[in-house]
Amino acid sequence: MNSPAHSSSQPAVARDRAEQQEIDASAKWPVLVFFGSALLWLIIGGALQLAASIQLHTPAFLADCEWFTHGRIAPAAQNALVYGWGMNAGFAFALWLMARLSAAALRSAGWLMVAAVFWNLGVFLGLAGILGGYSTSYELLEMPSFASLLLLGSYLMIGVWAVTTFSVRNTEKVYASQWYILGAAFWFPWLFLVARLMLSTSPVNGVVQSIVNVWYVNGLLNLWFVPLALAAAYYFLPKILGKPIYDYYVAVIGFWWFAICSACSAGSRLIGGPVPAWVATLGSAASMLVIAAVVIIGVNLLGTLCGNFAKAQKSTTLRFIVLSIVGFMLAAALNFALSVRSFAEMAQFTFIPELRDWLLLYACFSTAMFGAAYFFLPRVTGKVWRAPVLISTHYAATALGVLALTVGLFVAGWKQGHQLNLSDVNFATITNEITPWLTYRSVALMLLSIGHLAFLINFVWIACPCCSPCTTAATIKNPPEMEAHQA
Amino acid sequence: MKNGLLIFSGAFATLALSWAGVVLTANNQLGSLTQYKDPVDDALYPAPLTGLANQGRLVYQDLGCVSCHTQQVRRAGFGSDIERKWGKHQSVARDYIQEMTVLIGSSRFGPDLRNVGSRIPDADYFYKLLYNPQTKFAGAPLAHGMPAYPFLFETRPVGSVQSSHKAIKTTADGKEIVPTARAQALVAYLLSLKDSYEYPEAKPFVATEKKEGGH
Repeated sequence: MNSPAHSSSQPAVARDRAEQQEIDASAKWPVLVFFGSALLWLIIGGALQLAASIQLHTPAFLADCEWFTHGRIAPAAQNALVYGWGMNAGFAFALWLMARLSAAALRSAGWLMVAAVFWNLGVFLGLAGILGGYSTSYELLEMPSFASLLLLGSYLMIGVWAVTTFSVRNTEKVYASQWYILGAAFWFPWLFLVARLMLSTSPVNGVVQSIVNVWYVNGLLNLWFVPLALAAAYYFLPKILGKPIYDYYVAVIGFWWFAICSACSAGSRLIGGPVPAWVATLGSAASMLVIAAVVIIGVNLLGTLCGNFAKAQKSTTLRFIVLSIVGFMLAAALNFALSVRSFAEMAQFTFIPELRDWLLLYACFSTAMFGAAYFFLPRVTGKVWRAPVLISTHYAATALGVLALTVGLFVAGWKQGHQLNLSDVNFATITNEITPWLTYRSVALMLLSIGHLAFLINFVWIACPCCSPCTTAATIKNPPEMEAHQA
Repeated sequence: MKNGLLIFSGAFATLALSWAGVVLTANNQLGSLTQYKDPVDDALYPAPLTGLANQGRLVYQDLGCVSCHTQQVRRAGFGSDIERKWGKHQSVARDYIQEMTVLIGSSRFGPDLRNVGSRIPDADYFYKLLYNPQTKFAGAPLAHGMPAYPFLFETRPVGSVQSSHKAIKTTADGKEIVPTARAQALVAYLLSLKDSYEYPEAKPFVATEKKEGGH
């Protein structure tokens, strides 16, 4: 097994560390460019999301301006968070981790940065398209076609380098995090290309469009965002705790089981819809079977964490990773519930499915990327984090925000679903009933934004070459969380 | 796992399985679904959208109405869609075959709109709703959580030109509020939303009891 905890034997430590620094340095600029743009999109997407959330309890907010009407701002926020924040952050993390685990320097930083420019241009044009009224109205594929071409082209340029780094690897074994990254790198372009072809280029007939759409949304969340979050958890837990993954030999079963079942689980989003019954039934069955994979992954990750919880709480990275694991489990539980027909009957058109998707994208994926960034940014830049108070602010805001939003959306969805199914309760009553919970959600989103701002300030300090001088001490010195396993 | 190729082929097979199993199979089954010819009146259902309604669909799409409104009626006994009079029967795949963009939606922050054209066959109602959902009707606002769409209307002085018969109201200072072409298209689309025909596949399944020895 090539667990990161055992990647360096004692005599070779010094040499390994020099090599590692070389690899980290090779990834510096691509990582900074991708992660920097990700953070900008996180701020923009967060602001749009907050505005869209305010509009649900105060409909007059920004209603006079066509560009900011709710039906445009809500998908724009979602796209900014998915393609702007999520995918940029995923690129930064995956390229760096792939280089590290393959013990090979990241090549062609120049190409990657060109790709980054085109990717961000694509996201920008796509968002402008949605806000300007050129939305396709397909969930998470709202961007007009010209933006999609840019996204797909630049993705291929980025993905090629992740795969190239892997193929020139200097290691014998392939670690779990690498499976997840490779899978994600390969799945996205296929999902995206097929969905665009079947929806925009030569649209399929009738409700097949809806099936393609849920297949894409489900695939994007479960086969791109979740794998990257799991790659982070599988890497950082053993790395920082200094012990191998618990029962590592089952990880491979967990990986394939998770991939196969979640790839087939899309249909559970169409329970009761105007599609053949087998679509929903197959989706529900697959959604339920995913739980076995979640248990295996849980045994791996929580087993490693077991008994080391206090130690994990000392590392900022692991605190976020623990949050991410909790988010993953919650999303899986909710997804299971939503694939049970009687629960779906109540919950399917409410805020509860929205909560499930948000848990996957934010509570599971985004927190994992925050944790990862606290680890890799000091290493690629050779600097230390400037303001610990901003780190604590970020963590506290994230943890509280995730908790508050989960409770808020669940209660809102629960009330909404029950009342929607009582035909004598009119819509005005339902809206009034859930309005306080939607206001509460806006507050939770504000809380999350405070965390993002704190993180941004710290990022600017560590990324900007003129901000803090690069001291030799900071470059050589291991962060406290590393000392444990080096000792 | 040591082998990169193995991971790749596995990943390929995984998505190929779900693509073929879910998307292609569904396309195979539904892709060639055609209009239904009624045996009695020989007419074809569902009828295509009219030109103006089709333009209105684009407005519906561009304003993102699908963010808060579904267009699918669930079967009787599964949710209260039928009791809420959102439709007389459940929506089936054939209802959607004439639509360029299928907008079944996934959120019911607002009511379902699949049959809103037969539920509220009143253009004036929709103009008032779009211009200002807070407009009072029988003492209560038309809609609570819905935003206004004032940019779909133009305010112009009466006097200089002949008053428009489409004007929804006249303000105190002698101006009238007239729906733009986009508002008219959108309302035409909303009025066109009605699945009036019940296909054989939409009828609830009734198990017929086997008669013993009855021939």
